[in-house]
This record gives sequence, structure tokens and C-alpha cells, in this order.
Amino acid sequence: MKTSHLSIATVAALAIGAAVAFGLSSGTLLSLLTQATHYAIFALGVGLLLRQNGMVSFGHALYFGSSGYIIAILLQLKAVPAEAAVGIAVLGLTAFAFVIGLVIVRVPGVAFGMLTLAIGQMAFLTASRSRGLTGGADGMNVDWPSTLFGVPTELLLKPAGMLILSWSVLVLVLLGLGVLLRGRFGSVTEATRDNEERARFIGIRTLLPRAAVYALSGGITSLAGVLAALNTGFISPEGLHWSLSGVALMMVVVGGTRVLWGPALGAAVYFLAKDVLGDHAQHWMAIFGTALIVVIVFAPEGLSGALCRLLRTPRRQPPAPAAGNPSARVAH
Amino acid sequence: MTDYVLQTEDVAIHYGGVKAVDGVAMTLERGQIRGLIGPNGAGKSTVIDAITGRRRLTRGKVMLGGADVSALGVVERRSRGLSRSFQRTSVFGQMPVRKQVELASYKMGTPDSHADADEVLRELSLDHLGDTVANDLGYGEQRRLDLAIALVGHPTVLLLDEPMAGLSVKESLSLAQHLKALTARRKVSVLLVEHDMDVVFGISDVVTVFELGRVIAAGSPAEVRANPRVREAYLGSAA
Repeated sequence: MKTSHLSIATVAALAIGAAVAFGLSSGTLLSLLTQATHYAIFALGVGLLLRQNGMVSFGHALYFGSSGYIIAILLQLKAVPAEAAVGIAVLGLTAFAFVIGLVIVRVPGVAFGMLTLAIGQMAFLTASRSRGLTGGADGMNVDWPSTLFGVPTELLLKPAGMLILSWSVLVLVLLGLGVLLRGRFGSVTEATRDNEERARFIGIRTLLPRAAVYALSGGITSLAGVLAALNTGFISPEGLHWSLSGVALMMVVVGGTRVLWGPALGAAVYFLAKDVLGDHAQHWMAIFGTALIVVIVFAPEGLSGALCRLLRTPRRQPPAPAAGNPSARVAH
Repeated sequence: MTDYVLQTEDVAIHYGGVKAVDGVAMTLERGQIRGLIGPNGAGKSTVIDAITGRRRLTRGKVMLGGADVSALGVVERRSRGLSRSFQRTSVFGQMPVRKQVELASYKMGTPDSHADADEVLRELSLDHLGDTVANDLGYGEQRRLDLAIALVGHPTVLLLDEPMAGLSVKESLSLAQHLKALTARRKVSVLLVEHDMDVVFGISDVVTVFELGRVIAAGSPAEVRANPRVREAYLGSAA
């Protein structure tokens, strides 16, 4: 997609978000869409790691929950203004993810997943047991001030305002990733993912790009956590639990990572299923689980991959080399 | 004094008591093609791995353009102009052909990596497949892509580990002749490990013969063919 097309798509997406937010009168529906958007950003973070590094994380709730806790604690201590607390949470967790990434991205396959699970659960247990600081299993409130980045918090907390803010963050994250991954960083990380040894033999130092992807993925997930903490004004250890990482991973699998927006589509489908099936079946997760199996078996690239395949025009046969070209003698 | 682009001095790689390579001394002059032959397990690929930094030396030295690179890693040696292809096809499966060749050229610091990639792709008849992902290519095309990734970026030394593996006789000879012309045009010196004797003797300026991790003979193709020890150890009736 050309840059001009990307800009038009971004503006259009932002406009659609605003139109939906102002057009819908149902607070429940707006709230559901807002939650879906938060999880879409969360899933984008997990999906980025899978797409660019080929790695599966079972512990990304660490970044989702920790961002809320960092802000809540900083605001409770009145240590810094809320805007600075948001910056510290997102940038601090991104930096933390980079440092952790320098160690754990060296570990291949299932072992990497287990490491992320272990680190995530360490954070979960710490939050659950540090009653004095985090409120323990009961969680803690996030005392947002009356204005945030110059905007009245009351306005942001209205269902329509929250959806517009969350949707805008989602669109801007997608735009940023789209621009970043179309460049050299995208090529380097793809090459490293596909064949790390060959990547080193073409001169790529493979550790830093992999750690950078992990950090970026953690940073994006922490953004989702900030929005969720703003939306609910509350944070509890459940926000750090591995099962939440599992849910995000399910969204990624359902949506697919062939295209950047695949995980976001997965989050939308998950929340739609939760809403529709939840009304009719107590154990809706069992139905969703069956749907997940169907997607994995029949559309291994996820719904976005299947959608792209459906919409793609049949590929033209590439022309053969010209007969006069001396290199045409090279056998095929 | 001869201008060696690559030199190994007493190179040895031992795994416990097993001497995979022992005391190998070789040189490569600018623009020269040196063929490495020997039976399976003779240590040819291990020597390539030693030169590129994929395996740590037990003893000895690797000199690139007169400088000792023995302590340097794979990436540093590549940045000094050392490039290689692999015995098993090693490409970036999900990336389009042109994108990966251009990336390889860029990482070598080529000012116009797009033009460089296009030139190599054209010369290896892959230009019409530039937008195809590597996994969708046929085996022969993947072998040429492997070669293109190694050739791009104007390396000074190219180490080719069985580039003809899996190709038919006709394909091998065709690619070999093309390779000779291409390396001459791009002024790159080549160390070629290959089991196809017609290819090795057809395009090499000099040939080195390995047996059990040691060099047992070296010289012009005619000298090596005539060497009784080589005929006995390896060539047999193929000579």
C-alpha cells in the first residue's frame, strides 16, 4: 500500500470510529466495542511477536496488567502527574521488555513460551501477595485526575469518548506498525524469523531485532493495559493472569497474522462470539473452542488469511525469461 | 608477493579425539576458483564452516585480505567481504525473492542495493520471479536464489558448498558455466566444494583434495587428475 493510500485509510478508519461512537446509543454496545478495541490492541502486541519473530508468548498479560499497576501505584503515591505515570508505564515496560528480551529471545520454541509464562506468573503472584502495595487479590483503584493530557477525564470516561480514544490508539498503532514493518526493520526481522542462521550469514546481528520486536510487542500490550485501566479505574491480579495471555493468543490464532490487522479481527470475533453465544449458552467458551479448532484445521492462516485468499485475484503466471537472454540457458 | 584474498594456516577442528580437519593450509588468489574435492566426511564443508566462523578453530589461522579474522564472528567476516552458500538450500522461505536479495546486498553496504539485486537476479534468470515468495519456487530456482543471496553485495570471497546438489547433469553444467562467467565478471574469488567432478575440473583454476581431514594433493586440474594417490583415494575411474 502506498503512503498516500495508507494516510487515506487511516483518516477513513478514524472517521468510521467517530461515526460509530456517536451513532450508537446503546451504552452496553459501546462498552463492548471499547473492550474489544482494548483486546484488539493487546492481541496486536501478541500477534506482532508471532508475525515478526515466530514466537508464541503465554505471558503477555504481564505487560497488560503491569501498566495499570504502575500507574495506580504512582498516582496513589502522588509521585508524578498522571501523564508522566502513563509515559513511565508504557516506556518503562517497553524498556523492561527489551532487557528481558535480550535474554529470552535466545531460547527457541516451547521453552520461550514457558519462560514468558513463568515471568508472567511471577508478576501475578507478586501482585496477589503484595497486599500493602497492590491491595493483593482485591486489587486497587486507579485514581485518575480530573484532566488527562488536557482533556477532562469525565469526557474520556463517557462510553463514546472512551471508544473514540481506544479506537484512535488502535488505528495509530496499526499505522505505526504498518510504516515500521514496510521499512528495513520489517525486512530484517522477517529474514531473522525465516532463517536465523542465513540472516547472520548475510550480515544481520539477529539478537537485537528479535529483542526489539519483543519490546515493541510488550509496549503495545502495555498501551492496551493503560486504556483498560482508564476505562475501569481499577486493576487486579486477574489482569496479569496467564489465562488472559491465553485469551489474547486465541484471538491471534482466530484472526491470523498474515496481515497486520489479523489479531484485531480475532479480538472482534471473540467479543462478538462472547456476546452472541453468551446470551444462549452458559458454557459459550466450549462453542468458541470448537470454532477455534475449525479455524486451525481449515484456515491455518486465520480468518484474515482466509479473507485475503478469497479476495485475492488469481496470480498471473510470471513471464519466462526472454529467449535472447544468455542467462536463460540456466536450467529451471 | 602473491596477493591472497584468503589464506588458511594450519587450520584444525577437533571434536574430542576426532580430527574433522587437521593442519589445513590453503590459499586463494584474487579472481581464482579453487575446487575442493574428497570423499564424504573428508572435512570439506567443515573447512568452509571454519573459514566463515560457523565453527570455532581448535588451532590455526584464517586470513582474509591479509588480516587475521580467526577471532571474528560470522557477521564481521561477512562485512569484510566473505560470503557463502549452503549445502542444503538456505533461503528466507516466506520472503519475496527480490526483497531478500536486496536485503543481502544492503547489509553488505552496497550503495544501490536495488540495482545490485536486480543485476544478480537477471544474471541468474530469477528476475521474473522477484515478487514470488521463496517457498513457492522450484528446487532449482531455490538453489539459484541461494547463490544470488551469496553473490550479491560484491563479496571478495565466495564459498560455495555443493551448489549443484540435487540438480540434473544438464542443469549442473549449465549453472557451472554460468557461475564461472558470473564470478569472473564480478571479480570474486571462489572456494567450491562439489562432488560433480565434471563441474569441478571444468571451472576450477586449482583443485585441492581432502581425505580424512587433511589435504592430500593440490594443483591444477590436470595435475590432480594425474596424481596416483588422488586416483586411488577418490577419483578412481571418474578420472
